Amino acid sequence: MRLLRRFLRDIGSSYVPDEVVNINNKRFTSPIDPPINIPQQIYTGYYLGQNRRRFEPSSILLQRLAQESSIHKVYVDRDTAWLFVVGKDVFDENIIGKTDGVRLGGYCLVMYGDDCIGYGRYETSLDRRVVKNLYDIGDFLRREQE
Amino acid sequence: MSGREWFIERYHAMGSTLTGNETTSQAIRVNPHKVTDTELVQTLTEQGVQLEKIPFLDHGYKVKSSPFSLGATIEYLLGFYSLQETASQYPMQVLAPTSSDLVLDMASAPGGKTTQASAYMQNKGTIVAIDVNRERLYATENNVERCGVTNASIHHIDALDLPEKPGFTKVLLDAPCSGNYVTDPNWFNKRAQQDIIRNVEQQKRLLAKACALLKPGGTLVYSTCSLEPEENELNIQWLLDNYTIELAPLSGPGSPALKEINNTILHEQVAYCRRFWPEQTGSQGFFVARVVKK
Repeated sequence: MRLLRRFLRDIGSSYVPDEVVNINNKRFTSPIDPPINIPQQIYTGYYLGQNRRRFEPSSILLQRLAQESSIHKVYVDRDTAWLFVVGKDVFDENIIGKTDGVRLGGYCLVMYGDDCIGYGRYETSLDRRVVKNLYDIGDFLRREQE
Repeated sequence: MSGREWFIERYHAMGSTLTGNETTSQAIRVNPHKVTDTELVQTLTEQGVQLEKIPFLDHGYKVKSSPFSLGATIEYLLGFYSLQETASQYPMQVLAPTSSDLVLDMASAPGGKTTQASAYMQNKGTIVAIDVNRERLYATENNVERCGVTNASIHHIDALDLPEKPGFTKVLLDAPCSGNYVTDPNWFNKRAQQDIIRNVEQQKRLLAKACALLKPGGTLVYSTCSLEPEENELNIQWLLDNYTIELAPLSGPGSPALKEINNTILHEQVAYCRRFWPEQTGSQGFFVARVVKK
């Protein structure tokens, strides 16, 4: 729970999931109660994400957070979105829109239109301002290759 | 007995005119959780993808051409669509689960039909998705997450180990089977009659389990991607002979199932099932039955 709470705090979310279930280091809420007793459950209900080095939010959680108006967001075009989902950072000049309050050192969602494609930290790297990629939905492809 | 000629001769004896060289186009299924058909078709068309609606599917499109891999686009990663072969989109459409159903997907990996069920159920009700193969269940987990499914419980378990309690209103058994040559160019070299016999025994065990898990009045959809009558019509005949079930008529794609096999006349309801001959449907070979537990 600690890493999940820290992630939600860092990203600026007011979301407090109730009844968080832990299965193999993955966190779920709104668990499903099967109509018969079935062992060896590996996934249930609303998937929040998993603990690795830091908490990695699920794409389901990211889409939910994208609805919160108080969370900082940067918007990118298609080309930049693709670079982001293959793991690259977003250079400041490639950001086509920002919500108020995106500040250096702060966390923000990376948005392609109305859809969240990951999140990062707005920081300075080699004298350039970037959104440092901390997680992106290209992870689905990386998982398929594992 | 095996080999290309043996199989093709067998299919011709069943009334098919297939050549053994049939192929199928890639197909996608739009995820209505995330996007409308119109929106997705417009987005992909703008990027040079040519799509054609598959008339008998609710959200299925044939990919006529694409300048890039459709398994690696932003829209795919956002869960706007799944790659799912034409015929394999049909069983869940036949099961048509609703938001009040308790659904069991008995051989769920890699999860395409599980996500399709959730779309029909508008992410409500309950889906229990199981599979015996842990490696393939990773794909189920990924697909369920990618498509925004929140009404599923996934379990790594052999369906035959499930407790025999009638808890489900709808069951999909897309059974492990011999497959067919359309999606596997080496199929004719790999398959022999012994494989079919082995699969039939497993399919009967799974069918029996599916009946035990289904509530009275509930619906089981049984499907295979096999063209072999032992895995299809004869399994359904066996089910009619041994369980208090009846078959519900299916209309739509494919042909009525075979009525007679090796001079044996089958129960008239067996013809309610649908058989997909590749040369007629432009899809892989397939078989679908809708079974209602009395």
